[in-house]
Amino acid sequence: MLSFIGRSIIQKIITLFFVSVVSFLIIHLAPGKPSQVDPMNPKFTPEMVERFRLEFHLDKPLHTQYLYFYRDLFTGKTVSWKDNQSVLKKIWERFLNSLPLFIVGTILTWTLSFPIGIRSAIFRGGFYDRSTTFLAYLLISIPGFFFAYILIIFVVTHFHVPVIGMETFGLGASSWIRVAMDRVWHLLIPSILGATGGIAVLSRYVRSQMLEVEGQDYVRTARAKGLPPDQVHYKHALRNALLPFVTMFGLILPGLIGGSVIIESIFSWPGMGRMAYEAILARDYPVILTVNFVSAVLVLAGTFISDLLYLVVDPRIRL
Amino acid sequence: MTKVEKIEINDYQTTNHEFLAPRRTRLKEFWHLFKQNRLAIAGLVIFVLFFITALAGLFLTSGHDPVFDPALVRLQEKLRSPFSQPKIDTLMPHEIPTVGVYVMGTDDLGRDVFARMLQGAWVSLTVGFVAVGISVFVGIFMGGIAGYFGQNHIRLDHILMVCLLFAAGIFIAMGEFFSGSAFLIVFLASVLLLFRSMNKMEMRGMSKWYGILKKDTISIDTLIMRIVDIMLCFPSFFLILTVVALLPASIYNIMIIIGLTSWMGTTRFVRAEFLSLREQDFVTAARALGVGNFRIIFRHMMPNAIAPVLVSATIGIATAILTEAGLSFLGFGVPPPHATWGNILSDGKRFIFDAPWLTFIPGIAILIVVLCFNLFGEGLRDTLNPKLKERH
Amino acid sequence: MTVKRILILAPLLVLVFLLQSYLWVPTYEQQTRGNPDRLNEFIAASIGDASLLNPILTADTASSQIEGMVFEGLIDRDENLYFRGRLASSWDVYEEAYFYVNDAASIPGRGKMPGEEIVDLLIRAKHENDLPDPGLKDALRNIMEVSAIPPREFEVFRSEKIPGELKEKRRIKINIKAPARIKLRLTSVDQDLFRHLTKILGANYFASFRGEQYISTEPDVSGVRLAEYAGELVPATENNPVLVFHLRPNVRFHDGHVFDANDVKFTFDAIMNPKNLSPRIADYEPVKTVEVIDPLTVRIVYKRLYSPAIGTWGMGILPEHILNHEALKKEAGRLGKDPDKFGMRQSTFNRHPVGCGPFVFQDWKSDQYITLKWFDGYWEGPPNYKRYMFRIIPDLLTQEMEFYAGTIDSYGVQPHQVNRLKTDPRFQCFSGASFGYTYIGYNMRRAPFDNPEVRKALGMAIDVDKIIDYVLYSQGEKITGPFVKQTDYYNHGIKPVPYDPAGALRLLAKAGWKPNKEGWLQKDGKKLQFTLITNSGNDLRKAILAIAQDAWRQIGIDVRTDLLEWSVFLQERVDKADFDALILGWSMGIEPDLYQIWHSSQTRPHQLNFVGFKNKEADELIIKIRQEYDREKQVKYCHILHEIIAREQPYTFLYVSKWTAVLDKRIVIRETDDKGNVVYKKITPTKTGNYNFYFNKWIKLRDAPDFSADG
Repeated sequence: MLSFIGRSIIQKIITLFFVSVVSFLIIHLAPGKPSQVDPMNPKFTPEMVERFRLEFHLDKPLHTQYLYFYRDLFTGKTVSWKDNQSVLKKIWERFLNSLPLFIVGTILTWTLSFPIGIRSAIFRGGFYDRSTTFLAYLLISIPGFFFAYILIIFVVTHFHVPVIGMETFGLGASSWIRVAMDRVWHLLIPSILGATGGIAVLSRYVRSQMLEVEGQDYVRTARAKGLPPDQVHYKHALRNALLPFVTMFGLILPGLIGGSVIIESIFSWPGMGRMAYEAILARDYPVILTVNFVSAVLVLAGTFISDLLYLVVDPRIRL
Repeated sequence: MTKVEKIEINDYQTTNHEFLAPRRTRLKEFWHLFKQNRLAIAGLVIFVLFFITALAGLFLTSGHDPVFDPALVRLQEKLRSPFSQPKIDTLMPHEIPTVGVYVMGTDDLGRDVFARMLQGAWVSLTVGFVAVGISVFVGIFMGGIAGYFGQNHIRLDHILMVCLLFAAGIFIAMGEFFSGSAFLIVFLASVLLLFRSMNKMEMRGMSKWYGILKKDTISIDTLIMRIVDIMLCFPSFFLILTVVALLPASIYNIMIIIGLTSWMGTTRFVRAEFLSLREQDFVTAARALGVGNFRIIFRHMMPNAIAPVLVSATIGIATAILTEAGLSFLGFGVPPPHATWGNILSDGKRFIFDAPWLTFIPGIAILIVVLCFNLFGEGLRDTLNPKLKERH
Repeated sequence: MTVKRILILAPLLVLVFLLQSYLWVPTYEQQTRGNPDRLNEFIAASIGDASLLNPILTADTASSQIEGMVFEGLIDRDENLYFRGRLASSWDVYEEAYFYVNDAASIPGRGKMPGEEIVDLLIRAKHENDLPDPGLKDALRNIMEVSAIPPREFEVFRSEKIPGELKEKRRIKINIKAPARIKLRLTSVDQDLFRHLTKILGANYFASFRGEQYISTEPDVSGVRLAEYAGELVPATENNPVLVFHLRPNVRFHDGHVFDANDVKFTFDAIMNPKNLSPRIADYEPVKTVEVIDPLTVRIVYKRLYSPAIGTWGMGILPEHILNHEALKKEAGRLGKDPDKFGMRQSTFNRHPVGCGPFVFQDWKSDQYITLKWFDGYWEGPPNYKRYMFRIIPDLLTQEMEFYAGTIDSYGVQPHQVNRLKTDPRFQCFSGASFGYTYIGYNMRRAPFDNPEVRKALGMAIDVDKIIDYVLYSQGEKITGPFVKQTDYYNHGIKPVPYDPAGALRLLAKAGWKPNKEGWLQKDGKKLQFTLITNSGNDLRKAILAIAQDAWRQIGIDVRTDLLEWSVFLQERVDKADFDALILGWSMGIEPDLYQIWHSSQTRPHQLNFVGFKNKEADELIIKIRQEYDREKQVKYCHILHEIIAREQPYTFLYVSKWTAVLDKRIVIRETDDKGNVVYKKITPTKTGNYNFYFNKWIKLRDAPDFSADG
């Protein structure tokens, strides 16, 4: 057990190292220069450009730049080129903004998908199954921003209430509950938009897993025993179908930092995805690289956790 | 083998039209099962229609004097609604739309949306197919190697040589041709040395250093799976966005990048299939007959492993079309002059109050096509899944 | 079954909770009626976030918008775009001119003269009444004082690159034995002074002055470098315009500290400090010294004649007491940073600015909003709005939706929406021409663009009216030259290039381009073929690209088009002048200084005259304009320059776009008249089209007022 943990941690660190090298190379070898070093701005003289290059170590060879960058990152000193703010602080701020969206989305996804998926597995081929299949794929297939715009326009023109951003501006001195509820309202549409895709995918997955399990002997036995159908499906079958979801649950961790660029841009939600997108536009290398690094760490941590969960949950796996 | 018999019996029972059902080929059986999934059939039909449209689009909108000219700007006719009559007197003869009316209206430059949608169908389809083609190719290649040759180990000298080759490449890329070619020469020399020593391996006593060079490091399987792990660490849309934003915008870059960031799934299950197929009797038999490795891989194993790849490719095309639309929304999609449904949609969204058709026509078209790809893929998966067959 | 119930009930409860929040959210009407605070608040929106809130460190629009409200400059522009005093109540401009006594030159009719005698000569000439030359007479009358400066010796140190070495630099000691010098104090700046003086001192008096003989260096440098040092250290003549600002007394920063001349000097020093990497450093390069005469007087001496420099004092003034060396050191200590590496760029001031503008900074959430509060100690009286919110909404369509929902007070309309929103009874609409134009630029180094006739023909083939009508939805105006159309520098007498494809073909035929069998234009067996490029991500330019390609194809020119990503477009194509023709836009300052874009010395790679426009006459005018301090003369020169550029057609000038903004109709101007009564007025744009010039007087009312009675 311990040796498994040790081995997998070492393996993940090596992977992380390669990820850091690859992302560093991708960004630094691409054409285009950071926007602060903007030679087109008439106010930038060549000397200024040169000075910026010195300031950001852009004149150093790549491997030195690499070392500098990761040294700064691990000592928490990385600053954004755009505004000199600490990158880790920025990421933390954005993370807190993305968190409510993530939590609501995750709760909706990981609860609703199961009853929907199980029901359509039970009535396989029936009307319910076919209509949920159709609906699920409809939701997966719709371009996200198209859907978002339709929803926004519908709500604004019919209900005349603001939906963009994290809160209504200009509320003034309202009671706390009003302010809180206002924030909840602004959470509604983006989180539902975020959850629909998740529900569609996950419910399909639940369905197929349940189908695998429903044919097994022990389920048939349970049914033959005369147990109520709900108990058969939700206790005997679901428990055994759950195993693969343990892996998936570990993989939602990166969603914490991923965020959806498109949804966040449309709703001007100041989350992670938007920060990363703006950093790409501004060629703010430290932010891009740090976001990349942190999300790689989360992916690896997620897989690690799901490996561990497997060990705990599945009695057949012993190391 | 028992399973197959069981299926046949069940089939016979469920479809008992004749007492003795004729033995069906695999394809016929597949079709029989597939037919029962009406959604999948609808998906297939739309897929075929879309394919025909796209092909027609290619022929009708390209060339010097196309039937429908998607690039023709008629500023006086901008933002006309669908099925509106052109104002003949303000137009030059070649500017009058081919069918007499603007079937899908015109956009903010007065270009015929119908022509653009036709052209976009082909481009979107190409983006989807090429991107998925790349990803499937890389996926099968990597997965096949990992699954079939996975147990072989990479030796130290291999790594050294790859390093040399890389160093040469980097130096040449940096413009230092002298040191670059020096590395290249050393690389070629060591390749030669390696081949020579392979022939004479038994004759010469291995020196100590030589032994170290021949030391095994990691297996090919581990290497490839670690590469897959590394690739999976990047958040995929973010990675695509970064690369597309940093590279010059071009349709090829987008196809290649979408392809190169989505091969990991294919690799994983091709490898899994190969690992299990390798141990099967028919492969052992083929090997015993002295069939070459590549023939075994492509003639014997691949057909048995291809089904899940097909399913994921179908769904992959749908995803690629959606990804392209998302990139277009952020301003990094396929650049003009190529029209894609994604960039027609994202260009049109500014006019959603003044010309809603510019948003809804491409939006709904994408929705329908992606939906049909998904349903078709799902149908395929259901039909090909042996565990589920017996229940019909 | 509990699991099933939980799995169904939990999400339903969450959803119900989310949905009920709708009942708490104010609708468009409720926002203003149920909530008096909302009326005292102005909410603006922007696509991008500010980067830093320090006027000397930033140059982007979002930052400048906030900085303009928090900080205040010495001067700004009034309704007519003339300068107006803000922190400075008034200012004087005069000149100090110098020239070295040229021992070698002999003065006509008098021979060689030492310094004192020249002083006498000039004073006598000034009082002579019957001078033949009126120009000379004016120039002499303009002289207030003449004095002689005795010869002096001094030494300076310079470091310069060693020839042949890349990084190494060497220190050079320069000894100067300067001869006597004459100082002239002029009542107003006169760029022609020395030209006129040659009529007294002899045509070659200044030209024959050799500075090299007065300097020696250790180690020795070669001839060219020596001449350069001589030109810099012992120039034959020198014009030093002087700008004296008289500051407004009792102006306070937001933290209560009194503003004085030291803050002005500090702001200047901060810009010039290389550690701060200020993007504005180039604007202040002509400044020689900034002196504090007394707490309310600043004297700025310039190295040379450069009239646009006055405008740079509209720059927001920083509070010295927060940002000086000691304060930064203390801050570094507090934050636990290395004081040596801690500069203004690292200071938290940039996110919590303190200025003396009408609004006090309150709060900034990145990519969300910036809030400002009114400054009740503002010298001109506090603004009407108590709060100013700056929201960041990156998507235009959602910005529009927020405007409809009532949570943004103004919205920058896109051209195609103008007609729809103009008629909406809820809103009021303003529009005006912007300070920037869009053009097609031709690479004049390449054939066939080296021929002005060809360039004109290309322009004639494009129907600019059609572009304005159909692409810009009439939200644009034709432009014929590079000056801001609202200013008097712009020569309204120049006719735009007409749309005339047939005429274009005639001009091209004259240049040798004739149609071949397939209809393509051809000269010496070569097809007229080139590539038109622009950057991706700009819909208007994309549309113009398509239109231009189409228009040129009509007359038989084979044009290819290419869209390039912005940085690639600039670095690979524009900077290296590797293009045939391109579509770009310039945003202009009000100052008529065209040096960087049009002077022939600016055609090298990475410079802005990338089309390679070279015209001797234009060069002279460009220099004259930037040296002229008299507005009327400047206007005269500008009109001539405008004519030259319109004749040469280095660009096909397309249009200036018009912006349109909509405001909630309930926003009005509130003023208090002399008797102390409150008066409401409709917001009207100024002559130059600036509708928020009186922003500090705006206020939102509960109901839309009816101004129909007073028209």
